[in-house]
This record gives sequence, structure tokens and C-alpha cells, in this order.
Amino acid sequence: MRRFFIAFASVALVVAACSQAPSGAPASGTPASADAPVRGGTLIFAMWQEPTTLAPPYLNQTIAGLVSQVAVEGLTRTDTDGKYQPVLAKAVPDVNNGGVKVSADGKKMDVTYELLSGVTWSDGHAFTSADVKFTWENRMKDPKVVNRAGYDQIESIDTPNDTNVVMHFKSVYAPYPTLFGALLAKHVAEKEADLSKSDYNQRPLGTGPFKFTEFVAGDHITAERNPNYRVKDKPYLDKIIFKSVPASEVAIAQLKAGEVQAMWNILESQTPDLEKESAIKLAITPSPSVERVELNTAQNKDMTDPTSVHPVLGDIAMRKALVWATPKQQLVDKLLFGKAKPGSSGYSQGWAKYTGPPQDGYDPKKANDELDKAGWVKGADGIRSKGGVRASLTITSTTGNKTREQVEQVLSDEYKQIGVELKIQNQPSSVFLSGSWSAGDPRKRGTFDLDMYATSPDIDPHNHIFTRSHSSQIPSAANNGVGNNYTRLRSPDVDKAIEEGGATLDLEKRKVAYNKAVKAINDSYAIIWLYERASIDAFRSNVGGWQGNVWDNITWNAGDWYLKK
Amino acid sequence: MITYVLRRLIQAVPLLLGITVVSFAILKAIPGGPMAAYEGNPNITDEDIRRLEHALGLDQPVYIQYLSWLTAFVTGDWGYSYSSHRPVLASIVERLPNTLYLMGTVYVVTLLVAVPIGIFTALRQYSWFDHIVTGTTFAFLSTPTFWLGLLLIIVFGLQLHLLPLGGMATLGTDFDVVDRIRHLILPVATLSLVGIGRYVRFLRASMLETLTQDYLRTARAKGLVERVVVARHALKNASIPLVTVAALDLPELFVGALVTEQIFGWPGMGRLYWDAATRSDYPVIMGFLAVAAALIILANLAADVFYAYLDPRIRYA
Repeated sequence: MRRFFIAFASVALVVAACSQAPSGAPASGTPASADAPVRGGTLIFAMWQEPTTLAPPYLNQTIAGLVSQVAVEGLTRTDTDGKYQPVLAKAVPDVNNGGVKVSADGKKMDVTYELLSGVTWSDGHAFTSADVKFTWENRMKDPKVVNRAGYDQIESIDTPNDTNVVMHFKSVYAPYPTLFGALLAKHVAEKEADLSKSDYNQRPLGTGPFKFTEFVAGDHITAERNPNYRVKDKPYLDKIIFKSVPASEVAIAQLKAGEVQAMWNILESQTPDLEKESAIKLAITPSPSVERVELNTAQNKDMTDPTSVHPVLGDIAMRKALVWATPKQQLVDKLLFGKAKPGSSGYSQGWAKYTGPPQDGYDPKKANDELDKAGWVKGADGIRSKGGVRASLTITSTTGNKTREQVEQVLSDEYKQIGVELKIQNQPSSVFLSGSWSAGDPRKRGTFDLDMYATSPDIDPHNHIFTRSHSSQIPSAANNGVGNNYTRLRSPDVDKAIEEGGATLDLEKRKVAYNKAVKAINDSYAIIWLYERASIDAFRSNVGGWQGNVWDNITWNAGDWYLKK
Repeated sequence: MITYVLRRLIQAVPLLLGITVVSFAILKAIPGGPMAAYEGNPNITDEDIRRLEHALGLDQPVYIQYLSWLTAFVTGDWGYSYSSHRPVLASIVERLPNTLYLMGTVYVVTLLVAVPIGIFTALRQYSWFDHIVTGTTFAFLSTPTFWLGLLLIIVFGLQLHLLPLGGMATLGTDFDVVDRIRHLILPVATLSLVGIGRYVRFLRASMLETLTQDYLRTARAKGLVERVVVARHALKNASIPLVTVAALDLPELFVGALVTEQIFGWPGMGRLYWDAATRSDYPVIMGFLAVAAALIILANLAADVFYAYLDPRIRYA
């Protein structure tokens, strides 16, 4: 019922939106003189998912991060080129500027941040090194924080004075600048016995351009100008209201009607319709998100022995054939309206971006030849078999995602041309993407042949590549389902390269190591990198100042946004 | 009567308990779970997942989870949402006025429109008015709210630009009665049109039945004017089934309209439940279901009591 309803709602609203004549709202032809930033005004931003909390330790939704960061800042941020930039610190510490000191035995390190002085929280209270230390303490003590990765590598923190923070790491933790991206205000948060249950959870204090004044669940969140913001004359807007709407189609309809001035997260398939509207501008930004198909190389009937070999996909000739029979460019052009790029690795952005040879392209003839050569013989029904094993596979993805369903149809067609049967067997994302052994995620359990989904690595790819490709990270009954190496690939070359990447702070060396790992993964033909996605947001054309950021949500520079006259 | 009510209330306790057991068991049997939301986050390790499961008590056996929920619930501690960490009771209390406001309007509008139409169609059976009303009410009765709601949004919101597309009020403006009413029109119309259809059908049928009764002939024979015959003698008896239906609908005032609130982005109880269900937010779901079950049991009791009041032949011992 619910799926039907949503599908129906989408179709109905899209049809309605299409048939509607462009409204006579303010056009994009504003005189050039009015393009200078103007102070004042209220912007309404439509969000079609709702943040449940805005406090940094409990954030687990993209939309929550997007809203939270208009008020809450941290020590550093990542710019669109993937470089770390200081926010509340004077500089990003590294080995060259003396901010990072590795111990003589190379096993520990100290990181020293010098904070900006004279910064206050939006309530006027001074921001000091004690707030940074408190943020770490909360992360390690509070049992409800979403994650501790990295923070658990810190042994202790010293605060010699108000503007200096020295973090003593118990290991050489290369992604240290990604920690402390959002800070807690000690003077308020420390008074709460359980921060997660306090008001702070809905209206966290920050040092950023806006401050939260209202959180009405199910309706809207209001962020007003922070009078104590350290940057003079910013923000330009008086207020941003984040409006909760039930679905992206509704957000699009309201954007067209001018009820909202901006919205978040538009699907590729929705862009052709919006591009026709002169009063709407799309903000298309490359993103680290890559859609992939993983081939399960282990026998998938019973995960008691994860070292067993998949009867069909265990054969590298079969995996090569599937890679060569995948028409990535066609998928991008036809199903994603050119808003994505054919993939070559899971690491498409930033300093660690894969720059090696691209993954093999579309060549069904070569795929057929390879299977012939490997002894996979076509039967009467056109499906190959070898030694009594029929080349019949299933692909699993999330239910209710139209683009994915279309991609599956294309793959099923294409693979049939090379004599491989592909059946579609999707599951709700609450199961398929649950990442939980007990919830029965087929990827964890190994009960799939091909899976299809997207992930986004962080600017520092180590955790991502380690948990997804290292041979120690194969989930099985024996290890309680730990790890995300769903292809069950065991490659000493991949393992070695990943370990090299994690063992040094030298970015150049790390990049080379991760590139080597990706090359080795590609040479094993266990993952088909379908396409690299873009993040697409939209604004009415009377909104100025916004700028996309590959590594951050569209609101990263909300202080610079303004409404043209 | 008082003993009857008391007995019914006491009987309701095991019934409520049974409902919570079944609800809890069904929730737990659904694949997925509250941890599904954490998977997309590349920074969350399996260790984090296990820590969170422990912090929320999800690593306990199911019957222990149920018992600890129940003991807390009966002592007034409704628990905390898994996703927002807010108290369940506060989340419900916060949404309740919005739902009462919407559903109360729907209830009043529905009755105000349905009762006169129902009476009139019965009095003028097989007239052109009756045929039109019968046809229209059947059409609305068979119309799902999600379809009707979207249709109204498309026509009055997107095409004609007459009414807002959703929400309770225009954001960023001060309180304005006209604005509030404008936002109320479409969701109320969606729910009322369907509700009016139902009530009119009920009232028409029972009026028709009553109008043929002997005591009405007697009343007319006494020389009473037709207006008094209809209003005093027929309507009171004919409204018995209507009162039952109306009383059974009372819980809707509190639990809201799941689909309609979702379509119109109305921040009420229905949306709270919808969001909780999509997030496997067990404490919120259980709190909501327990309240809904209790209200439905109470409404059934209220319907029976009203029934006895309207029809003196009915006696409860």
C-alpha cells in the first residue's frame, strides 16, 4: 500500500507539474546591479526527509548534517578540492607546519591546534579549548553517540591555555583532520545528565552564521541570524526556515510554485523537467558517491565457510564477461540523463582519487569469446552452462527505486546476449541496506550473486577501502558478520596496498597505495563500477551566493546566501 | 449501568495487554530494524552498531524487551524515541493539538453536512436530489483519500493556484486566521468528502427504515405536523446507528489520518506514526499503538452507553 501510494503520488505530481504552464514568478533576468549581495530576507528551504536531531554526536542523516551546519562549526572543513581548511582553528596542523609530531618510534603522534581567539558561541559565551576537549569526552563517554571512529585513537587531550589544544593520539591516525568537524558548547552541554534527551539535541548551540530558534517536529526548523557571528556583515539572510515536506515531488512542486526558494537532493530522472523552468537553477556538484555492482565470489548457499567458491562467479572469466557486457555509457545517457559519469573506481574525488587506467569498457563480443574460451557452452535456451552448472544469477538491490529497477532490466537484457541469465530479486532497503547480520542483510550473509547500491567514501578513504576490500573484513557467521567485504575477495595484493596506505601520513605515498589497491580490485573483476553520481540541489533564480562543494552539503556557505531584489 | 461500565473497563485491561503483546511481536518480526539507518554512514563501525544496540536494549531477548517496555509504560515512562531521543510522551503531546485541530474540524464539518443531507434524501426517496446524492456519496465512499487528496492539490494548488500545497500555515509569517483556514481547506475537504459519504448512507438507510414504522403513523394520526414527526419521532430513533458510527470514529480525533497528514505535510499524529514506522522507532510506535488501542476500546464502550441512553429498551446489567 505504502509503495503504491508513493509511486502514485510521484507520478501524479510529476504529471501535474509537467502539464503546468511556467508560472510568472521573478525571472532570472535580474539587472546586473541587483546582483550584489543584499542583506535581509527569509529563505525557505524544502527538505523531504526530516532531521530527528541536530546535535553533532547523534547525527546520522545527511539532511541533519545539512541543517545542523548552518549553526554548528568545527575545527576544520573540507573544501571542494578535497583540501582541509581551518574553521575555528588558525591553521590545519600537519607535519610541515609543526602541528603534528610523530613519536620517535613512529607509533604515536601529537596534534596541536591553535584556535581563533575572540570567537563566541551564539549566546555570547566565549569559545575555548575546553569546548574541544569536552567534545571528545562526550564522544567517548556517551553510549548513544553514533560513532567513535578516530576519536577512540586519542589517548588524552591537553588544554595548556584557552586557545591551544594538544591531542595525544595512541596511533598514527592519518584522517585526524576529519575529526572535530562539529563542536559541542561545554558551558551548556555539561549541565545535561543525558545530552541526547535534552533540548540541545534539537537546538544545538553553535558558532556559525545562524542559530536555531525553533524545531517543530514534522513541520519546520528555524535558523535565525547569529548576532555574535565573528564574520562582519554576514550572514546576508535574516532567517532560513527548513520546511519539512513529505516527498521530493512535493518539494519540486513547491519550488516551482515559489512556496520555497531552495530544495535538497534531486534525482537525476527529475532534472529534465526542472531544466525547462527559467525561474529555477540546478546546483549540480560531483559527489564521492559511486553506484556499483558487487559480484559475490564465494559460494553463497551457506556462509559457514566463507572461503568456498561461487559456482558461477568464482570463475574470473565469467566476472570479466559481466564487466565487458555492462553498457555504462548507455546507462548514464539514457537512465541518468547525462547527470552521472561512467565509473572506474569507488574513489572518484579528492586527493586519493583513482587516476589509473579506467575499468574495461563495453564489449559484448569480447565477453562472448571469453566465455566460449572458458568452456561455458550455450544450451538450447541460449543460457550457458559448464560442468552441469547453469549460468543463472540473481541481482539484488533496493525496492522502489525506479532508476535501479531500470538499470537491472538493462543488465538482464545485456547479460542474456552473452548467455547469462540474470533474475531480479530486490529487497526493501531496511533489509538489503541494514548492514546487520541479525536483520538478514543478504550482503552480510553472502546470500546474493550480484548486489547493486551506492556508497560514498570520506575524503580520507582508509576506513572505507579497508572495511570493504581487505580480506580480514569478510562477514561470516564466525566473526558475527563484521566487515563489508561483500565480494568475499581475498587478494594479498589488495591487502598489502591498503595496509601501506594506512601506515603513513605522506599524502602522496598514500594516494599511490590506494590507487594500487583499486587497480588490484579492478584486475580481479569483482566489482562493476556503474556510475559516479552527482549531488543535485536546486534554487529559485532569485537566490544568490550558493556554491556546490564535492565534500560537503550545499549549506556549507549558507552565510553567503542572499535573496536578490 | 455503573457496574456494567466498570466491568467493561476491567475487561479492557487484558485486552489491551494482548494488543501490546501482539503489536510488539509483529514489530519484532518485521525484517530490518532501527539499526538499518546507520548502515549508509561510512564512519560507523560494527562495533558502533553493537554499542548502540546495547545502549537501546536491543541486544536483550525479545520477551525481556517487551517486559521492560511494559513495566516502564504502566509507571508512566513511555520511553525515548530511538532516532530523536526525545521522550515518546512529549512527542505525542506535541502533535496532538495539530491532529485535534484537523480532525475536529473534519468531524464537525462532516456531521454538519451529512445529517441534513441524510435526512432530506430519506424524506425525498427516489427524487432527483436523492439520486444525485446517492451517486455522489457512493463515488466519494469508494475514493481512497490518497487519490482524492492529490487530486485536490493538483487542481486547487498546482493548476489554479488558489490554495497552498500543504502544511499548517505559511512559514515565516505571523499568526493569521485566514492563512490558517486556507491551509485547512484541502485536507478537511479530502477527509470530509469521504466521511460525509459514509454518514449520509447510514442516516438515509436508518431514516427510511424508521419512516415506515407504526409509531410514526400514530404520530401523524395524532395530528402532529410533519416537521415534528421527522425531527422528534423519526430522527431520534434513526440516529441510533449514526451515533454508534460517530462514537466509533472518535479515536480518529486523536490518532489522526495517516495518509492524509502525510500527503499534506500536516505535523500531526498520523505523520508521527508514519515516520516512526519507517524508522523502526519501536518506542514511538508502541506508545502510539497503546494510546490508539485504549481509545478504540473506550470509544466502543461509549457507543454502547450512548446506545442505551437513546434506546430505553436496551438495558445493561
